[in-house]
Amino acid sequence: MTEAMKAGVPPSKADFHRVIEARSDRWYSACLKITRDPDLAADAVQDALLSAWNKRDQFRHTARLDTWIHRIAVNAALNLLRKARPGTFEALETDVESGESGPEQRLRDHELQSELAANLGRLSDIERICFVLKHLEQWRAREIAEEFGTNEGRVKQAVFRAVRKLQAGMRDLQRAQV
Amino acid sequence: MTKNTDEMIAVLRDETYSPPPHVRARWHEAIDEAAAIEQHRKRPARRGWHPASFFIGIAVTAALALGIGIGFIMGDTGRPDEQATTVVVVPVPQEDVPAALARGLQLHFRDSRAQILALDESSDRSDLVWRIVEDNRILESAATRDQAPQIARVLRAIEPILLRLAAENLSDGELADLQTQLAFEMNVMLTKLARQSSDDTQTT
Repeated sequence: MTEAMKAGVPPSKADFHRVIEARSDRWYSACLKITRDPDLAADAVQDALLSAWNKRDQFRHTARLDTWIHRIAVNAALNLLRKARPGTFEALETDVESGESGPEQRLRDHELQSELAANLGRLSDIERICFVLKHLEQWRAREIAEEFGTNEGRVKQAVFRAVRKLQAGMRDLQRAQV
Repeated sequence: MTKNTDEMIAVLRDETYSPPPHVRARWHEAIDEAAAIEQHRKRPARRGWHPASFFIGIAVTAALALGIGIGFIMGDTGRPDEQATTVVVVPVPQEDVPAALARGLQLHFRDSRAQILALDESSDRSDLVWRIVEDNRILESAATRDQAPQIARVLRAIEPILLRLAAENLSDGELADLQTQLAFEMNVMLTKLARQSSDDTQTT
């Protein structure tokens, strides 16, 4: 954090360039895990940066600039996904086990190189998003429920299903390695 | 939660992916452009008519229009190298566009192209650019809603070039390059939309 930022001055252009260099891998990764689409992930980070720049007067200096932008980027990824794949979040309302992702999605998954990350492809969009938000982004179930306009119980169910599928994927992986 | 699950979550949390270099460059540019526009907006608007700039503008516009006309005649299969003046890559969409959206896009691209080509060094570019950007965003939302993701992506890709056009400290050469690139991208889209419209007419 620069001296100017400590003193309560809005972050400068140089501060933004610095955090892009230092932390944009993290933002992009979070958005990629949510969208599983490199183009949407890149657009989400750009939207977040412009939004953060335009609202930089509201930046609270008790927070870190990179974590602030990270949170905005995750929200931007959710918004872009909502626009790109309408109905994705409605699956929460049905509260039933949904199928795996389609072939188009699996094609995009080559971007996620590790086998473990590729296992996220076993999950439906909504299971993956709830899992990523809860366990990787540390959102509370209540916050996720508010974001999707549903109740905590449904979010917890989706996360539970996601963990169960990932565990099964890990077991398959371990068996294949033996 | 089991130890294995905790470990799995920890591995997934720590896994990071680097964006392609041109994407990171685009993010840096987006901040530079936003800062430049803000500076420009803070500056009081310039008033008055500058005959020299006016005639230079006419000459630049005529040269650009001639260049674009030649580009049209040369065909639409490839993009001449001299057009590649920036790192922003605008993808050419392959999908068909719903008719109502296509009409809106044609109007937007035609009007924007004419307004952009009429700009000169003395023009107050930021207000015009913001109006075009706002229309661009409305159409991008409409394209997303109408299941035309490639069109939405083209509109998103054009936005950083538009924002660069609003920067205060552009040289005449940079201004002309951006005008040429935007006009070119809009021409590509207009050609594609016109072709689709003609195909639709022939099949009905």
